[in-house]
Amino acid sequence: MPADRPPPEGPSAPEDRSMLLDSARRTTEVEPILTVHPEPGVAKPNPILTMDGLRRSFGGLTAVDVDHLEIERGIVTALIGPNGAGKTTLFNLLTGFDRADHGRWEFNGQMVTSPSPDRLARRGMVRTFQLTKSLAKLSVLQNMLLGAPNQMGERLWAAPFRHLWRNQERTNTERADELLEQFNLARMRDELAGTLSGGQRKLLEVARALMSDPALVMLDEPMAGVNPALAQSLLGHITQLALSGVSVVYIEHDMDVVSGISDWVVVLAQGRVIAEGGPWKVIHDESVIDAYLGRRRAGTEA
Amino acid sequence: MDFDIIFGNAARAAFGPEAIILALAAIGLNIHFGFTGLLNFGQVGFIMLGAYGTSVAVATFGWSLWVGIPIGLFLALALAVALGIPTLRLHAVMFAIVTIAAAEIIRILIGSTDAIGLTGGPLSVSFDAGAFFDLNPYADGPQDRYGVGTFAFTGQQMWVITVGWVLVALVSLIVFLIIRSPWGRVLKSIREDEDAARSLGKNVFWYKMQALMIGGVIGGMAGVIDAIKTSGADPNGFRPQVTFYTYTALLLGGAATYMGPVLGAILFWFLREWIESFLRQLSAEAWLPGAIADFLEGSEGIISVAMVGLALVLLMLFRPQGITGNRIEMQLDAR
Ligand SMILES: Nc1ncnc2c1ncn2[C@@H]1O[C@H](COP(=O)(O)OP(=O)(O)OP(=O)(O)O)[C@@H](O)[C@H]1O
Ligand SMILES: [Mg+2]
Repeated sequence: MPADRPPPEGPSAPEDRSMLLDSARRTTEVEPILTVHPEPGVAKPNPILTMDGLRRSFGGLTAVDVDHLEIERGIVTALIGPNGAGKTTLFNLLTGFDRADHGRWEFNGQMVTSPSPDRLARRGMVRTFQLTKSLAKLSVLQNMLLGAPNQMGERLWAAPFRHLWRNQERTNTERADELLEQFNLARMRDELAGTLSGGQRKLLEVARALMSDPALVMLDEPMAGVNPALAQSLLGHITQLALSGVSVVYIEHDMDVVSGISDWVVVLAQGRVIAEGGPWKVIHDESVIDAYLGRRRAGTEA
Repeated sequence: MDFDIIFGNAARAAFGPEAIILALAAIGLNIHFGFTGLLNFGQVGFIMLGAYGTSVAVATFGWSLWVGIPIGLFLALALAVALGIPTLRLHAVMFAIVTIAAAEIIRILIGSTDAIGLTGGPLSVSFDAGAFFDLNPYADGPQDRYGVGTFAFTGQQMWVITVGWVLVALVSLIVFLIIRSPWGRVLKSIREDEDAARSLGKNVFWYKMQALMIGGVIGGMAGVIDAIKTSGADPNGFRPQVTFYTYTALLLGGAATYMGPVLGAILFWFLREWIESFLRQLSAEAWLPGAIADFLEGSEGIISVAMVGLALVLLMLFRPQGITGNRIEMQLDAR
């Protein structure tokens, strides 16, 4: 399943080296997670997201069936699993885009009682979509600005009075330009987003999600369709994010990417968490390999 | 065949009260359909409540016109809330069905014989709009005419037209200001992809509700002007085709543009009146074969509406973004 892409430690761009440095530095910072025993549903020292008994079925098919799972704060967690494992569905449940049949989860220390996507986003849980949702008829910059939180100008009563929101808009624009620069989209700033390539839209969506300074970003296959060089820099940003205290969960199929930048890996198969742990250990876990190859083992069959 | 008369008639329609009413209705619809993507097929309902709210307050309750107007606008606002709460969360098609049905239900209720005591029922309601015309600065004698040839208005009409176009300009300005703001940006994001807007923390339901309310109240303004112009209201004036004429004007001018609804309304009435006058003159020509003249006689109005419809079809084929729209934006839909 892994896409045809060079491993993260490629020999080329200068950013690669800095990324290596970052990950070296990070190893010391994420120490606590390394002490966690790698088994499904294990408790973490400082979780930002904790879910219990989360279930969702479509007709007879149980897409998600997670007994207990914790996502650690401030690190990069990869969510992997074969196609149809329920990764996207799990994202949809957690972010309020789909309703669980059962289950409860806690975000940032607070129970999520009535999951509405916009409220969760305002609380700091921001996601991107597997099928990109860039807004084609808005310019790239407008897309970015839309991501900014608490905008005075988004209130109807203040909208006609530009002086009430001009400064905030300017600050947001500066922030947007910074991010566009980082994501190699500065050139496209004033183009309509609909004119971007598929990979550029993926990048735009991630950059846009970052406009709100989220506490947790959930990226659904952010690297899919992005060319290797850009994917490389995107990986760098993800690492940077975790360094600056943001928690990241991302879905990815490429094992090189997963082992390159993840601090922790959760494996989903047929809706269940079948393994979690440090990247090296999980990727070489036999039950994980079996799941990817479509083999069922006595232990995972329910 | 006198083309001066034809042109004069067309110009009078294009700048007269009818065009103003259509322009306001289309500006409101532009907020719904153009900028937010709400398929409101009941714009006439808002116009109707604006007109009847004003008329009934003055005629039935004997209140001042200056109380009646806000009541008309308030009823339009209330309709927006009443329609929005149950339907804005549903699929766009559901919303379209509910709006068209709601407008018809309101019209039937207003026009029912049971409502005679309140709204005049099937008979039209009429009131004295003196409070408005007392302020008329134009001399309004029986001989006073403003304009040239058939492109001329009475003093009373001039006053309605002046107030009306000032209102259109003012409302257009406000719409321009709110749409180019971050608020307008959220509307456009909802139009394109509600889930994207939600994922960025926008309360989609509430923004749609705000858009519905604003566009509805602007539709209510069209109704108020209509009530003042005719000193009353008639249920037959608020059939569903009013909404479709509004869509025609909006699409002619260009949806989701600032000037589109106004230009579209002017063009709609110009074309409609030009064709109708032309046909009326044509049917009187001696050289026309009797069968064709008989066919035209009395149907000029219907034929002219059909021709405007044809013009819309051609426009959609060759310039789908309308007169003022942006071609590139349209092409993005295909991707
Ligand atoms: N709306 C839906 N209706 C019916 N079945 C659904 C729906 N959404 C997901 N499913 C089913 O649930 C299962 C999990 O789908 P999901 O999209 O979560 O997988 P995934 O792990 O994201 O896969 P991929 O790696 O291919 O993106 C699949 O079998 C899918 O067919
Ligand atoms: Mg998926």
